[in-house]
Amino acid sequence: MRAAKTRLTVSLLALCLASGPALAENLRFTVWTGNEAHLKMLNGIAEGFEAAHEGTQVTFETIPAGDYVQKLTFQLAGGNPPDLGWMFEDSMPAFVAAKAVEPLTDVLENTEGYDLADFSEPAMGLWKKDDEIYGVPFSTSPFMIFYNKDMFDAAGLEDPLTLAEKGEWNMTKFREVAKALTRSGERVWGFEFKDGQGYDTRIMHAVMPPIRAYGGDAWANGACGFDQPEAVEAIKTLHGMVFEDKSIVPPGEQGDYFSGSSAMTINQISRASKMPEAGFAWGVAPLPSGPAGEAPVIGQAGLVVFAKSDQKELAKEFVAWMTNKENVAVMAQFFPPARASVLDSDAFTDANSLIPAEQMKNVAAAIKNGKVLPSHQRAPQILAAQKPKFDALWRADADVEASIQAICAAIKPQL
Amino acid sequence: MARAGRAPWLTLQRREAIEAWLFVSPTLIGFLIFFLGPLIAVVFYSVSEWNLLSGEQVFVGMANYHDALRENPDFWHVIRNSVIFAIGLVPLNMALALTLALALSRPFRGVVFFRTVFFAPVVTSAVAWAIVWKFLLQGEGGTVNALLGYVGIDGPNWLREPDWAMAAVIVTRVIKMVGLNMILYIAALQAIPRDYEEAARLEGASGWQIFRMVTWPLLAPATLIIMVITTIGSFKVFDHIYLMTGGGPENGTLVLAYYIYEQAFEFFNVGYASALAMIMFVIVLALTIVQLILRQKGAA
Repeated sequence: MRAAKTRLTVSLLALCLASGPALAENLRFTVWTGNEAHLKMLNGIAEGFEAAHEGTQVTFETIPAGDYVQKLTFQLAGGNPPDLGWMFEDSMPAFVAAKAVEPLTDVLENTEGYDLADFSEPAMGLWKKDDEIYGVPFSTSPFMIFYNKDMFDAAGLEDPLTLAEKGEWNMTKFREVAKALTRSGERVWGFEFKDGQGYDTRIMHAVMPPIRAYGGDAWANGACGFDQPEAVEAIKTLHGMVFEDKSIVPPGEQGDYFSGSSAMTINQISRASKMPEAGFAWGVAPLPSGPAGEAPVIGQAGLVVFAKSDQKELAKEFVAWMTNKENVAVMAQFFPPARASVLDSDAFTDANSLIPAEQMKNVAAAIKNGKVLPSHQRAPQILAAQKPKFDALWRADADVEASIQAICAAIKPQL
Repeated sequence: MARAGRAPWLTLQRREAIEAWLFVSPTLIGFLIFFLGPLIAVVFYSVSEWNLLSGEQVFVGMANYHDALRENPDFWHVIRNSVIFAIGLVPLNMALALTLALALSRPFRGVVFFRTVFFAPVVTSAVAWAIVWKFLLQGEGGTVNALLGYVGIDGPNWLREPDWAMAAVIVTRVIKMVGLNMILYIAALQAIPRDYEEAARLEGASGWQIFRMVTWPLLAPATLIIMVITTIGSFKVFDHIYLMTGGGPENGTLVLAYYIYEQAFEFFNVGYASALAMIMFVIVLALTIVQLILRQKGAA
């Protein structure tokens, strides 16, 4: 009798455990934002999906950006895979090559009213391989020049936005105003690389805008591009600004645009959230053009479904839901969209409470005409291989051309 | 109904043994799961090539060790950096710790304050420590160079020149961690009976002679332990390098633990990183054994 009772209890327990997932389908979605407003918006989008899929619950799980790829990878390898999540642009090729993410083309093409063609081809380039879509960009954020208008006004100089409107905002003018705004004795510089990390973790964000403006690229088709004349010219210009003009915050110094120690910096519009507390008048302008004309550079992040998810089809449906026109328009308040219809709408230009509509139009134009940062399946290895060679470049007495050759020699085996 | 003539299973001895196992079991289980298990796993990982993203794991024998020791020039550069770091850090740390301990082992007014001051960096956040020192060590606007400027020295761009960067991370690490060794030395000094020193003083020994002939030999066991843990710690240094230089400039501060991290968590070369970790384990073990042998020879 006692044995029978025990068997019954264990069986009921097992039944309860086994039937748990069938009663409620929980989609686990990893993101790197912990921002309350972002999460509130994401949960709002998920509520609509949950209403249409009874019994489904979407849970957003925050992993800090710095640890995101590591923790995500270990969750996938450790048998605790999320169903879907955000993905950095530079991590995507490695995930696709390892077949760690699911193809989405079928679902996106067959979801009623989705309008896949609304995403521009350049915006999707990074998320496709062999005509198969593996991710959908939810944030397509161009790099823009943030400038301290008070410093330009005090120096009697036209600001970058005015110069851009007159068609005079180019690399020559950029160098000229950066030098004019520098006050070495007072530790005030004309320009600061993105978040002051252009010599370390953000080397590509530092060198790619001028390289593209001059018509070059970092690498393409397995060949190094840093040693091509256009890229060499761009890097020489930057080197001259750092060590001859002393107009860019140099390596080893802690500058900070947001506290007023640099007249300009380069960043994405999400950083505008730091501006209200900066205490000075400011504006957002396009990147300076170069011999190759205007060459906006875009940073992207996308949505992917993980191959190890138990609920791949449901997760794919959620990606289609989250990136439909209505929800992309909702997300545009924080994340610049890749959908042309949303970009062209007032909903986008009016969406940002900090950046005026006329400046947002420059952001929209940069998204349409921009090119994403260079990517590669072995991006981490390439970045690590080139880092010490870039360190050698960023010295006052460096032989720039020899340093660039060394950079190419270091990354060629990885390319 | 109890059966007569049969001894109870739970004897006093058995009960005590069970209690003992129960008391040590939390630590033992933790040790098995979080230390021994991973340690054994690393041995297996080190003979495999494991792509974390795809989940593919292939047995490659000693290939990862061969790559590290014979094929990859970065490995020997990293070992060289680790040795330089250890050679720079261990003597400096120990000398400074002993000096501070000698000064602060006797009671005097304010001794607790000074001990706290020197120990405080040990418990300070590594992140805060690195941020502050990065400001202090700036090339042009740094406080260190400003102070050097007062005595006519044009200081370098500390964290951007490979040799100076290594010196800077060693010194800032010593300042951060010296308090720990100072406490160990203070404890060791306080354990030395005062009679020995008083006897030597009565015999007319000078302060230096007392230190050299009495205090220093009696500190030998503590010195050995401190040397071993400081050396092991210097080979395992990671957070300090990660936060101060990221292994740069020009890989000038790329030490073994950071290199392992880079291979495992940035490139996801888990097999190769595990082989490197095994090599680091062997190096640290060998250093510890050598120091123990030297100590035994010294005692003989």
